[in-house]
Amino acid sequence: MLLPKRVKYRKTHRGRMKGKETRGVTLDFGDYGLQALQPCWMTSRQIEAARRAVVRFVKRGGKVWIRVFPDHSVTVKGAETRMGGGKGAPDHWVAVVKPGRVIFEIGGVKEDVAREAMRLASHKLPIKTQFISRMEAQ
Amino acid sequence: MEEILLTAQPRTVIGKQVNAMRRAGWIPAVLYGRHLDQPLTLQIDEKILKDVVAKAGRNRLIRLTVDSGAPRLVLTREVQRNSLSGRIVHVDLQEVSMTEKITTNVPLVLVGTSPAVTRGEGLLIHGIDTVQIRLLPTDLIPHIEVDVTGLASLNQSLFVKDLKVSAKIEILTPDDEMVAKVVPVKEEVIAVEAPVAAAEVEVIKKGKIEEEGVEGEAPAAGAEAKKPEAKKEEKK
Repeated sequence: MLLPKRVKYRKTHRGRMKGKETRGVTLDFGDYGLQALQPCWMTSRQIEAARRAVVRFVKRGGKVWIRVFPDHSVTVKGAETRMGGGKGAPDHWVAVVKPGRVIFEIGGVKEDVAREAMRLASHKLPIKTQFISRMEAQ
Repeated sequence: MEEILLTAQPRTVIGKQVNAMRRAGWIPAVLYGRHLDQPLTLQIDEKILKDVVAKAGRNRLIRLTVDSGAPRLVLTREVQRNSLSGRIVHVDLQEVSMTEKITTNVPLVLVGTSPAVTRGEGLLIHGIDTVQIRLLPTDLIPHIEVDVTGLASLNQSLFVKDLKVSAKIEILTPDDEMVAKVVPVKEEVIAVEAPVAAAEVEVIKKGKIEEEGVEGEAPAAGAEAKKPEAKKEEKK
């Protein structure tokens, strides 16, 4: 699973997810990709599950690029804990995804294979997504 | 080659007001060029523009008629699209002179199949997908074909310097930019299967603790933070 090697601060503010993504919205490496249509906090588990779904389907063919990285820590307060006492302990890592962001790219496979792989990946993600291709973009 | 015709109307609406124009089916555009005193703001019917952009790409000349003026030869320089819907938001058009060289980007089209890919040993990965070229508008080409049948062995690459183009075309992109490469099929792809999953989850927890150590906030800090909470609860 993806997580940062080193961070400056263990706990981060939650932030906002307003508007659309402006960077990482085009296919830069592969021929096909999966684009987010909604904002979310995508956990490293979800990213890994989706990646596995893709890799498992394409088997030996194809190369997959992950275009999001979970660098935002999410803290959770212990169960049956009263309010106060400061922020909880870091629990997991998420990538802040906004609409338009390309989550995965895939290359070296035919369109039907890429489409099915991305469909399988999309079922592991908490948001609506769309399949995009380099040909359509041009 | 069939000539592409486009008609546009002068536009007076600027700024945020153009959103209303888009809703009405008009796309804002701008026309500029070396021989124009100042850029012209235009509006073009969305359906027509969509067809023209699809047909012309960035490397075919378009005969543009503004209002009822004389036709001009133009190229699309930038097509801004909505990143989600792909709908055209704005178009930049540049007037060209047939006697002056222009700089433009042409797409690279990979042709053929690499023997390494046919054998199932490698995957064909593309590098850059366009190259910047300088040429006369009369010599414009829609794309450059790149023959990848010569990529017989793994990790073999094609670079910009390997592109075969007419002598009239000057390539401006650096020679050492990679165009296509055959990379070996990774075995780890299958190795990362389910059995490793449980171990991976634990590695993450360890990773976090190590990470805390690295940044100077020792794991003990977390423990200390928990202690006051526990004390408070006891008091209550």
